Amino acid sequence: MVGPESAPGDVLRVEHIAKRFGPVTALRDVNLHLKKGEVLGLLGDNGAGKSTLIKIMCGFQRADSGQMFLHGRPYAPKSVDDAREQGIETVYQDLALIDELSVYHNLFLRKERVLSPLPLLANRRMKREARAALDEIGINIPRIDVSVARLSGGQRQAIAVARTVNSDADIILLDEPLAAMGAKEGAQILDLVARLKAEGRVSIVMILHNYVHVLQACDRVSMIQDGVIALDKPTNETSVEELTEIVVNEYRRARAAAHAAAEE
Amino acid sequence: MASTAESPATGGPSPRETSPGRSRAALPAWRGALTRLIALREGSIIVVTIIVAIYFSVNTSTFFTGTNFKTLLPYFAPLAILGAGEVFVMILGEIDLSIGAMYMFAPIVFYKFDTAGVGLVPSVILALLVCMAVGAINGASVAFLGVASFVTTLGMLFTFEGLSLIISHGIPVATPGAQVTSTTVQVHHIVNGHSITLPEKVLHRGTFASVFGGGVYAELIWALAIVALLQVALTFTRWGLYTVSIGSNKLGAAEAGIKVKLVTVRNFVLCALTAGLVGIFEAVRSQTIQPDPSGPNELLLYAIAGAVIGGTLLSGGSGTVVGALIGALFLGILKDGLILQGVNANYLLFYSGLAIIIAMTANVFVARARRGHTGLG
Repeated sequence: MVGPESAPGDVLRVEHIAKRFGPVTALRDVNLHLKKGEVLGLLGDNGAGKSTLIKIMCGFQRADSGQMFLHGRPYAPKSVDDAREQGIETVYQDLALIDELSVYHNLFLRKERVLSPLPLLANRRMKREARAALDEIGINIPRIDVSVARLSGGQRQAIAVARTVNSDADIILLDEPLAAMGAKEGAQILDLVARLKAEGRVSIVMILHNYVHVLQACDRVSMIQDGVIALDKPTNETSVEELTEIVVNEYRRARAAAHAAAEE
Repeated sequence: MASTAESPATGGPSPRETSPGRSRAALPAWRGALTRLIALREGSIIVVTIIVAIYFSVNTSTFFTGTNFKTLLPYFAPLAILGAGEVFVMILGEIDLSIGAMYMFAPIVFYKFDTAGVGLVPSVILALLVCMAVGAINGASVAFLGVASFVTTLGMLFTFEGLSLIISHGIPVATPGAQVTSTTVQVHHIVNGHSITLPEKVLHRGTFASVFGGGVYAELIWALAIVALLQVALTFTRWGLYTVSIGSNKLGAAEAGIKVKLVTVRNFVLCALTAGLVGIFEAVRSQTIQPDPSGPNELLLYAIAGAVIGGTLLSGGSGTVVGALIGALFLGILKDGLILQGVNANYLLFYSGLAIIIAMTANVFVARARRGHTGLG
């Protein structure tokens, strides 16, 4: 288990976070830190608590106990809006895209441009800005006035990521950005992450499943097991073999426990 | 996802959707216009409404007349206003059955306040505020307690229709401020060069009555104004965008930071407000406050039917206020036309039912085509 360790360059620090859902303990004692411009890969089995951790960091859920610090100051977001105002943007596993709305309305959801004095939507302006933003981050969507339901899985993911990039956020949380995606589409998203990393403006926490992707795209990797961080290492000090070993050991322990329970 | 994956990774609408667009240029202008019209959410029902109107114009001598237009108005103006509010709830993926109760309850509250000496217009405002409070309870129950809106509002429907009967003792009363007074004036006529004077009755309606539903076109003007205002709110404001978002993807909307509960409560308040307003209009127009739930219950179902015919999905995420207006117009024309044609009154409900089923089925297919899904999606 990895304890809290503070470094001066941390933009986000998570200390002793715990979260229960009724009888289920999702997170027992999680410690995490994120440096400026860093890409942190978050690994863990299904149900290990990765998504819960992301949802606590982005203000969608609240931790039962523990503390978070943003730029060294206590951080306890009251809502998603509150977290966003403090510079944390999130792409959820389910993307949180609205099928019925157009691409540009999705890009600007909750950040709509409105006219004054009447609070009407500035659609033309949003279309223009959406097109510029997509071009800038190199996402090719031929038409931005069609509903997102018409886009492919990869395009939808790209829109969801673009939504966070197209903001003033300095921390971006990505919950399985490569889920349900083909190799080519996945590569485009990883390219985008690499470009953001090169810019060095934002820090990224990204949940991934593929170890190769983690080693390729991330600076550091944290692995959650049983609600705690079981490993926290720079990616250049670990390998696919070491990561696999940890998971295999966990399976062995789980199987042994299941056998013991069956014999009783 | 299965169906969206069919389209190529790089892009845009699949060939299936672009092909009608390409062939459009080759078609004559009227066919192009027709294609565009049908592509509209309300397109299919606009076409059907026009066809039905033409049918009745050809088959009856009285349908296409000014007098009949005035007969038609009370059939559809109340439905259009009720539908406008209901659409905001239905797009959320919820339903409000209590509009029947608000329709019945509002005039009774209005009467009580007026007889207490509050004054006509303040009484209307107070009655509407009471309705909005009931709407807020509906919305809060759905948003905060998680009770199914069908159950909540069904309970409210019975409760407030019951309360209306209790308060009014089930006795009809004359609507305050709606009386039509008549005076006799002496009118001079010149007949065959002789001047004669005959007494004639002249009807007077007060300003209040004329504005709040009593005037011939009052309710139509209100309906058009309300529909226009709410359609703009739905299409061109954040409120409308969030309403659609919640109905389309509730969790996603919440994750994006939309205040789902607040919007839900607000839309139920709006729905109750429009229902209360129509209740007062109809009480003023008919000059009596009838404490009888059968009329409101029928109207409630017709309002929902109008919204559905106009392209609003019960499953949420999609719908327009203008569509509900056209749906109401369709139902009005159908009823009025069948009566003019001398159709046995027993057939009216049957035909309305068939129309709703056909329109609803068509909408499901239109919605699928718009979203680029196939039937297998």
